[in-house]
Amino acid sequence: MAKKSSAARTASPAPVAATTTAIPPATTPAAASSAPVAATPKPKSTPSQNQSWTRVLNSLTKHYLSTTPQRTLLLDAFQVFLVVVGILQFLYCILAGNYPFNAFLSGFSATVGQFVLTASLRIQTTEGNKKDFVSVSPERAFADYVGCSLILHFFCVNFIN
Amino acid sequence: MRSLLSLIVFLFAVSVSAVSTTGNRLLAILDDVADKDNYSKFLGDLASRGFDLTFETPKSESLALFHLGERKYDHVIFFPTKTKGLGPNLTPNILVQFLNANGNVLVTLSSGVAAPNSLVSFLAELDIQLPADRTGLVVDHFNYDTASAADLHDVLLLPTPKTVRSDIKNIFGAAAPADSVIAFPRGVGAALGASELLTPIVRAPRNAYSYNPKEQAQVVDDLFAAGEQLSLVSSFQALNSARLVLLGSAELLQDKWFDEAEVTKVDGKKVKTYNREFAKRISAWTFQELGVLRVNWIEHHLSEEGAVNVSNPKIYRIKNKVSYTISLSEYTYDSWSAFNVPANDAIQLEFSMLSPFHRLALEFDKAHSTKDAAAYSAEFVLPDQHGIFNFKVNYKRPFLSNVEEKNTVSVRHMAHNEWPRSFAISGAWPWISGIGVTVVGWVAFCALWLYSAPPKGKKESKKTQ
Repeated sequence: MAKKSSAARTASPAPVAATTTAIPPATTPAAASSAPVAATPKPKSTPSQNQSWTRVLNSLTKHYLSTTPQRTLLLDAFQVFLVVVGILQFLYCILAGNYPFNAFLSGFSATVGQFVLTASLRIQTTEGNKKDFVSVSPERAFADYVGCSLILHFFCVNFIN
Repeated sequence: MRSLLSLIVFLFAVSVSAVSTTGNRLLAILDDVADKDNYSKFLGDLASRGFDLTFETPKSESLALFHLGERKYDHVIFFPTKTKGLGPNLTPNILVQFLNANGNVLVTLSSGVAAPNSLVSFLAELDIQLPADRTGLVVDHFNYDTASAADLHDVLLLPTPKTVRSDIKNIFGAAAPADSVIAFPRGVGAALGASELLTPIVRAPRNAYSYNPKEQAQVVDDLFAAGEQLSLVSSFQALNSARLVLLGSAELLQDKWFDEAEVTKVDGKKVKTYNREFAKRISAWTFQELGVLRVNWIEHHLSEEGAVNVSNPKIYRIKNKVSYTISLSEYTYDSWSAFNVPANDAIQLEFSMLSPFHRLALEFDKAHSTKDAAAYSAEFVLPDQHGIFNFKVNYKRPFLSNVEEKNTVSVRHMAHNEWPRSFAISGAWPWISGIGVTVVGWVAFCALWLYSAPPKGKKESKKTQ
């Protein structure tokens, strides 16, 4: 998740700045400046701050959705899914104990490993990182990804016992 | 003709079976062979129980306990002898060798005759101390026969033996009539050491003491021992179950105290002696006719469902359920009967590697018992430890011959394919489905990835950039 947001931020810093500047600056600076002077309008300031936060998030998601390529969106969705599955397995291990340990290891490491491989695929296929992977075409990256994933699945399934 | 022959064979079998478990060659050592007339009833009892008696004097040239390294006799009785030593054929060393070779010894003493040096040293070897000067006299001014020892108080009237401990069967006094006593005329008491192989059969009454009538006739100043310190009849059983009994009074075995001879207690009551039955039981115990245990068979096997049930396998696996059975018989005069463990006692099984991992009480197993053999069994789960283990039964009790049985087995660890599979354990299902979900999600992702390829033209235009 952190990777995603940071990627989104680094990918396009300029538009974010643009949207924040586009917000009518009437309330926020005023409230911020008036707050230390008068104590009473304090509750007033929180909704306005919330408002600004939701606005930031809204614009952020809007921007993320509009500027991110389809495949990267797909990658992010898959990674979110893997994180959820991984957390569920780990919670189950904490609550119900780790017997049989083999099964826990293989189940959890399948999910984590898949997440790592997917993250690698994302790094290799992001437009912004193109100059770092000159020799790796997106097709090549995907083929590597499929091969490594199959090996991972093979090992995990065998490790279940 | 045939029936006559079978009758003879039967009689022969009976006469042979009615004897000790270790043999019937009995050597009696007397000062003078004519002395045996005093003991005619006792010796007659022995002969009727199937013993083959030989009489010798210590001076005899032909006397030898061993011939070509083998025992010549199975049992020896020492009657009091006036000689100071017993000669070169009965040195303490030879007597210890005789015990080590499973020979049994009954030693009788008398206060009138000093015990031979050889016997004193031999008894000291077994941690039995006799009074100084090799003689002594036990008297009791409260328990004596007023009829025969009105002045000297040296014919003690002892209550019939009780069990030493509550978990031991009463071998010597079990059949005694309620008010009978053992007449113990002119006897010598011994002091027993702390050896666990020694057990007193009859201790002196609380008021008895031992003194030297020759030197302490006037004033008794230095007592050898008094009260229950004095053991009047003592038993010793070696680790090889060879037995020795020290009988403080040889006169106890003489005819005049046998057969319901009447003695008078201090309170004037006339009671009958228990001497004959007591002498029979003492000699029977010494000569391995009583309290002899036999291990008939030992069997152990896997007791798991669906397992191959081979008897006494050499190897087991950790955490196997195993059952162990031992069959024991006890000999009584002429026959083997089922050995019943006394009420407060338990026979135990150890499963040990250096130290016991399990020590379990063996329970009576009716299914495997017969009339003349009692089976005891235990069922248990082997420890979670692989290695070389022993099934060990170590049953050593006073007045019973020692049982020490060791059966060695290997215990191996789990083979890799003997663990339960994860999918058979319901707790693993969430993780297994985690892998499934990951794989299915991955396949779906790959399909979508291929489906959502960006338009070619755009890509080419990017490449040209």
